[in-house]
This record gives sequence, C-alpha cells and structure tokens, in this order.
Amino acid sequence: MTYTRRGFLGLTSAAALGAGLSACTGAGTTSSSGGGATAEASNNLRLFTYEDDATIGLLKAQVKKFDEQNGTTTTVDSLPGSGAAVYPDKLRTELLGGKGPDVWRIWGGQIGSPFAKAKQALDLAPYYAKFGWDSKLNTAAISGMTFDGVKTGVPFIALGIGAWYNKSLFAKAGVSAPPTTYAELEAVNDKLVAVGVTPLATGGKYGWHVMRLFEYLLEHTAGPELHDKLLTGAESWDRPEVVEAFALFKKWQDKKWLPQGALGLDPADIEPGYVQGKTAYTITGPWTEAQAILSAKKPSTAFGTFELPTDQKPARHSGFVEGYMINAKSGNADKSAALIDFILQPAAQKAMQITASTVKGAEPDPKALPLAAEWSQKYAGNPFYTIQDQAFPKKEADQYFSVQSDLLQGSVTPDAAAKKMQEIVSAWAKG
Amino acid sequence: MATVALSEPGKVKGGRWSPWLFALPAVVVYVGFLVYPAISSLFFSLTNWDGLSATYDFVGLDNYAKLPSDPVVVTAVRNNLIWTVVTIAVPTVVGLVLAIALNGKVHGKPVLRLIFYTPAVLPLVSIASIWGWLYNPQYGAINSFLELIGLGGLAQPWLGQDSTALWAVMVPAIWLRTGFPMLLYLAALQGIPNELYEAATVDGASRWQQFWHVTMPSLRPAHYIVLALSLIDSFKVFDMIYAMTYGGPGTSTQVMGTWMYFNVFQYYEAGYGTAIAVVITLVAVAVGIPYVRSQTKEAS
Repeated sequence: MTYTRRGFLGLTSAAALGAGLSACTGAGTTSSSGGGATAEASNNLRLFTYEDDATIGLLKAQVKKFDEQNGTTTTVDSLPGSGAAVYPDKLRTELLGGKGPDVWRIWGGQIGSPFAKAKQALDLAPYYAKFGWDSKLNTAAISGMTFDGVKTGVPFIALGIGAWYNKSLFAKAGVSAPPTTYAELEAVNDKLVAVGVTPLATGGKYGWHVMRLFEYLLEHTAGPELHDKLLTGAESWDRPEVVEAFALFKKWQDKKWLPQGALGLDPADIEPGYVQGKTAYTITGPWTEAQAILSAKKPSTAFGTFELPTDQKPARHSGFVEGYMINAKSGNADKSAALIDFILQPAAQKAMQITASTVKGAEPDPKALPLAAEWSQKYAGNPFYTIQDQAFPKKEADQYFSVQSDLLQGSVTPDAAAKKMQEIVSAWAKG
Repeated sequence: MATVALSEPGKVKGGRWSPWLFALPAVVVYVGFLVYPAISSLFFSLTNWDGLSATYDFVGLDNYAKLPSDPVVVTAVRNNLIWTVVTIAVPTVVGLVLAIALNGKVHGKPVLRLIFYTPAVLPLVSIASIWGWLYNPQYGAINSFLELIGLGGLAQPWLGQDSTALWAVMVPAIWLRTGFPMLLYLAALQGIPNELYEAATVDGASRWQQFWHVTMPSLRPAHYIVLALSLIDSFKVFDMIYAMTYGGPGTSTQVMGTWMYFNVFQYYEAGYGTAIAVVITLVAVAVGIPYVRSQTKEAS
C-alpha cells in the first residue's frame, strides 16, 4: 500500500491535536512539504545555484536586468565550492522544508534525476514549445536533462573535460608538444617524474576527481561502444578491457604519476596545482581558466589544453551537462521559465562568461578566455561519454569510488576490481 | 483583630494541576521538537521513503533486516566502537594528568589552562581544515617534520589509506576533547579538602597511595560527568569524519552517523537511513541507562 508523506503528517498531527498539542505540531505539519500544494503566485522569485565568487556577480547582474524588465524581485542564493557531493543535499532539504527555490541549477544525468523522478521538478515541455528551446539548444545536452522521456531541465552548459597543463613544466621535462597517443602520454609522465614534477594533479577525497582518470583509461581500453554499454549495465564489467583499465589505473599510482597520497587529497586543494607550478597538468573543464588561472592572475598563455588521447575512433572526452529546473510547486512557473529563457540568450551567456554554453551563438570570447575558446574550437565538436558520477546514481558511484580506492591501496587486484564493479552495476541495472 | 487565612499545610494553591501548568510550556516544546519527530522517524524507518517523493510504501522491518548484511554497517559499527573507546579513554586520562599537573605549583597556570582548553572552543570545521593541511602528504607539517628529524620513512598519506585514516582523524578529536575533562577535574581537585592529604601524610601514605585512596574517590562525581558527556560526544561523531575524510578512503572511516547521513541525504534511501538513526538512538539510550540509574541512586 502506498502512502503520502503529507497524509502521515496530517494523521499524526490530528492525533497530536487531539492530545491538546495543536499549537506546536499543527504548525509543523503545515510547513512540511512532500505532496504539498502549489505556492501562491508573486513577483518574488528565488534562484539557487552553486556559482563561486568568480562568477556569481555576473549571474546576479543578468538576473537584475531581468528583474528590471519584468518587475520581479529575484533572490539569488549560492552554495559555492561544494560540488555535487553536497549541493543536492541542501537543495533536497530546502524542497522538503516547503520553501524550495523557484529555479535551481543542477547537473544532469543521475544527479538531477532524483528531483525529476520525485516530481519535485516541473515538466518543462510547454516552455520548450513556448520559447523554442529545442531549436536554440544543443540537442545532446537536452537529452542529458531529460528523464524518463520528460524534459525536466533546461541545459545551459555542456562541458567537456580534458587535460589542462603548465607549459613551463612540460618544457622543463623536455616535452615540446602535447601527447597525441596514450603511449606518448605515458612517456610524458615518465619525463615529468624524471625532473621531479608530479604529472597529474588529482585528489581522491569524495572519489569523483580520481574517477576522471579511470574513466579516461576505460575509454582507452574499452573504446566508445563498449564503454557506453558498460555505463548502462548492458555489458559485463568482468572482462579483459576493464581489468586492463584497472591495471593501468594502478600503474599511474605506482609510477608516481599521481600525487603522493592522492586518495586523501581534496580536489579543491590539489587541482590548481598545475597553475601553481606544483604539478604538470590536471583533468578538468574550461571553467578552470576563469576559476584557477585568471583568478590567480596568471596569463592564459602560460598554459595549454589537450584532449586526453584514447587511441580510439571517434576520439571522445568525458562530458556532462548542467542546467536549470523549475520547482513543481512554484507559484511562479511562468516567470521562472521567462527568467531561464532570459539567461539563455546569447548575450546573457556571453556576459556571464559561460565557457561551454549550449546556446548557439554564445561561444566563449577568445580575447577574454583564450584557452576556453581554443578548447571549444578544437574539441567541443567531438562526442563525449557521460562522466561516471552522472552515469551512476550516487550510491553506486560511491561504491565504484570505493573499488578505485581499494585497488590503489592494493587490497584488491584489477581482476577482482572488475568483478566487484560488475556486482555493483548489475545490481543497480536490475533494481 | 484581623486574621489571615493560611493555606493548609501540604495543599498547593491552585490545586493539583498547578505543577502541570508550570511544566506545560516545557512539555509542549519537548513533545513537539523531540517526541513527535522521534515517532515520525520511527515510522519512516518502516517505509521505503526516498526522502524526496510525496509517497512511500510501508515495508515493515525490512530496513532493519537489511542492516546486518550491509558491509558498510559492519565497518561503521567497528569504527564507532574504536572511536568511542579511544576518544573517551585518551582525553579522560590526559585531561586528568593535566589537571593534576596544573593543580600543583606550576608557573603560568592560567596561560597553560587557556592553551589546553582553546581547541575545545574552535569550530570543528576549522579544526578539520587545519589538521587536513597538517596531514597533507606532500606539503603537510607532519610529514615535513618527520623528514626533518630523519624519520622520513614514517611519513604517510595519513588520510589517504585505510590503515591510518581513522586513527589520523582521532588525533585532532583527542586534541580538542582533552581540555574539557581537564577543566572539570581541575575544579573537582580544588574542592578536595587539604586535610585529607594531611591526614594521609600523617598516616604514612605515599603520593601514589594518596592519589588512589584520596584523590580518585573524591573525583567520583567528576568521573561520572566526564564519562557521560564523553560517551554522548563519541556517539555523536559525525562532523570530524565528514569534514576530514568524507567517510573514505572508500568507506573505511564511515561511522553510523555518517552512514545514516549518506543514506538519507545522498542515496535517497531515507527509510533505510532512518532505521540506522533509530538503532544509533537505541544504543545510546541503552548505554546511557547505567549512568542515569547511578545518578538517580546518588540523588536519592
């Protein structure tokens, strides 16, 4: 038998009222949500995001413009720096508390999916039709914000991640050009270690950052078709290609191509190492130019980018989408959709320095963000595979990170790691 | 001559309901903010609620039945036990030793007290950040110091390996929790009459005998308070683990509190996570009963 949370709360509140406690529990009930009613319409909107100090001002400026044109007052709240590990928790708590934002930013795939499945996010099909988003936005990105066939989010970023490197450290190691094959990448790593430079800046606290290396290795060993099937559980992980990827993963640590104690390092601390000259490169996305390079007042010319060579056709890189959702209980759905459409205009996207916009005509400005523009021109057209923490639900992703951790610590072999991954993915795929 | 009517002895003005009326505000707050949420939690632990949807199904005791077969629960229970024993025993003993030392003739007592107690008032997240940097395997002070004194072989990725991560988190926990028992013991030590020591000295008792037969028995009330509060603190462990290791590497430093949080807030398994919360509460209550009984006996 299926119950509603509101029903339970109502029932228990009635009991409490009967016990003479209406003043306390009655208030508690009405403030709870779950199957709650739609809020009243107003001109006050609230947008929740995870922009950091470098970009929140740009977003607020655009929101202010929207408010001036539409007579609304929009509050912008941000939880910067938390990443996908914490932000969804805060959002979920706000929604359950009955005071959720009208609009929120969220990652696609399995991170945004629970909000769609729980029907906390509005079906945006009418607004796609009204504003013509289908023709304005990148089609692949729209699919990343479509859940069970329902367009519950509007993508505004489709980010590809690759290697961002420090040119002077590459030069110090005698590397004149970025690697174009996996073997060349390994050779670059050896040269860097030989001159005392740690090649890859990555940190395993939270799991997801080290994952960027493993998913690349899996793309290299398995190839695009098999990799995609592995991510959906359509093929078994207990196979030679996966074992080889895990063996390479361990090799990267054993040959000191990763920082010492990488598993315990916070990505926020270690990733900018390539800007600070402590490590040679990291695996990240175009946002790093504004957030790490320019904010450290370093010239973009001192750094370069390259797509991690997979030796596969087509060449792909890891990628993910981010977009906006509208609260299903918002009384301001029309205004919220209008706000999103305003933000999606090419001029607004450019003003916000969105480096990987899904909006046609909003490519990064080569003068302001030369590296992001270069990445966009060279690689943004290449297909991407779904970044693994968006491919798996959080629980399975954490189990997968645990396998990575055990492997790097030597407590499981690559073969056992592949078998364990198959157990995790098949249990999820069946469930 | 006017007479003043006095209430009959034993009768309370306002009748037998007066005490309840006075207690009512507190009872309402207690029921509304503790009993009612606790009952709600108990109910949700019997459902498969995902923590986000409007609906759920009643699943009986399924969530509780799943607990023993969850390998992370096994790890978490073991970690909770280790954490509880170590973070009660070490700060209590060290706090007592420091209190005894500071109770003697020591120069700069107020400054030393301040130094030892300061960690207890620092925000936990700050402590976690400070120690996270100290433990940094490449640039942290701990490994640098070990290398400086010629013990570079002992340098470790302290938070980055299963074998050391939990112990590494316990060190700052001990550091911040030592000041509190020290203060309590210090106050209790200053309340022990000097005559007891004088009499023991006259009787020929050594300092060691004085400690065991005068100091320790006199500190019994302080022991109760220190142990009870330490126990509660230990069961509540969450923030240090969350901030320093996020339960990792892998799941090696998960404790019941963090595992409950992960299930409720991250995995959208609020029913299961709430079952973990109920178990934590029951264990805490069971462990707290001897303390409450001893206090009740002493009061009567």
